[in-house]
Amino acid sequence: MKSIILKTLLVTAVMFSTLNAEYSKPVKVPSITYPLEYDKNFRVMQRNCQWCHSFGYITNQGKQSQEFWRASVVKMRDVYKAPITKADEEAIVEYLFKHYGNGKVK
Amino acid sequence: MQRREFLKTSLVASTVLLGLPLSASQIRQPLDYYKVSKYAFPEKNPLIAHSDRPPLLESPRNVFTSAITSNKDFFVRWHSPKIKTHTFISGYRIAITGEVNEPLYLSLKSLKEDFEPVEITAVLQCGGNSRSAFIPTTSGIQWGSGAMGCAKWKGARLKDVLKQAGLNKDAKWINFNGSDEAAFHKAPRLIRELKIDEIEDDIIIAYEMNGEDLPYLNGYPVRLVVPGWYSDSWIKMLTEIRVTKEYRPLYYMDSAYTVADNETESETPDKPAKKRKPITTMNIKSYIGFPTRDTKIKVNENVTLKGVAFDGGSGIKEVLISADKGKTWKKSTLGKELSKFAFREFEYNFQAKQSGKFTLMAKAVNNLGEEQPFAHQMLWNKGGYKYNGIDSVTFEAVK
Repeated sequence: MKSIILKTLLVTAVMFSTLNAEYSKPVKVPSITYPLEYDKNFRVMQRNCQWCHSFGYITNQGKQSQEFWRASVVKMRDVYKAPITKADEEAIVEYLFKHYGNGKVK
Repeated sequence: MQRREFLKTSLVASTVLLGLPLSASQIRQPLDYYKVSKYAFPEKNPLIAHSDRPPLLESPRNVFTSAITSNKDFFVRWHSPKIKTHTFISGYRIAITGEVNEPLYLSLKSLKEDFEPVEITAVLQCGGNSRSAFIPTTSGIQWGSGAMGCAKWKGARLKDVLKQAGLNKDAKWINFNGSDEAAFHKAPRLIRELKIDEIEDDIIIAYEMNGEDLPYLNGYPVRLVVPGWYSDSWIKMLTEIRVTKEYRPLYYMDSAYTVADNETESETPDKPAKKRKPITTMNIKSYIGFPTRDTKIKVNENVTLKGVAFDGGSGIKEVLISADKGKTWKKSTLGKELSKFAFREFEYNFQAKQSGKFTLMAKAVNNLGEEQPFAHQMLWNKGGYKYNGIDSVTFEAVK
């Protein structure tokens, strides 16, 4: 009796593993740290931007104008529907322009 | 201590871009100093990692010495952060719905077994490849020139699949959607539409890349292959084909992946063109895979330059090499034409007569007589798309 249960268990285990094998290519994408400057606005930026993308999108964007960074933040809200409040928008633009800006307003 | 060490190496792995004066628009050589990341992504060699989420991986220059880009070296570009990390393959379906006689839910098995398999060698290139050439800097990842690759794609013809579904007589547009998802429900999805008369015989739903399953990051299990067109049309992890009577306005086709709808496809930073069109056919381009900026050659040594050239499907006629900044040009030797949509290898033997910096340029000419412009002759566009300036590599000759 015991051995029948054991057999059943074994068969179930085998079946389960073949079913599992059908979930082919379980993938783990590495997580890379893109180091960013830290200041009082960092966490506001992080809270809003990290929903959708890594900080590589910030560091690999080139040095940009204040207008450019504002347009980017507004695009994230208007097009990609990120729930960025007006107050957070100001803080994020300030942060991005301060550390990743080209010094020009326009 | 450990953390500091880690930050230091990450800084090298990531990239710091130069701040350049924002004056009138101009075009330069795309950036060529990105370092390969120390992290290898699944099924990939370490590549230049512009982002891990969504994954944006660029192939380094030395990959482009051969016509076929290996799956491990092939670039990656996703738009949405939510990409399925596993797929229940026996349950995977491509839904073909809308203006069809009967909706079809194609399994991978059926796609492989019920349709004639066809194979085509074709270049896949991001529309924003080489974007870092554009000044003022345009919005988007500042790619060098490695957001491209060429593979042998095997799959079923899109036409055959549509035929099986049976198109209604009002059918005019075919919409393609993949299974990646945005973080916020209402965000636009990367859907691409093709007009029915744009569907050529060589557009396929591919399940193999260079004789293997597609790598997960290149769209496993199936992606659309549109030879000659930029990669925004090559929808990855294809799950939906919807046939419609009318064009559905789409962010990625109407705004994002567009250029000015004028003869030069150009505009100025302060006056972006209002009338726009989606990017489609690739223009002619070539890229030197060897030497690279790190190469040191010996004076008077025989060295072979190697690279690849391609266009949107007319085929490459010749590739010319210049050692004097474009004043005079000499013919390179072309490799076999794998297909009119494939990378065409080129080779050129040279020696440096004296030590010092040495610059070589490559310029492709296609069967229509079109040739690449110098970088400085190119015109600006706000998406930084379709860069195809003459490539230039500077390296060192030593005694």
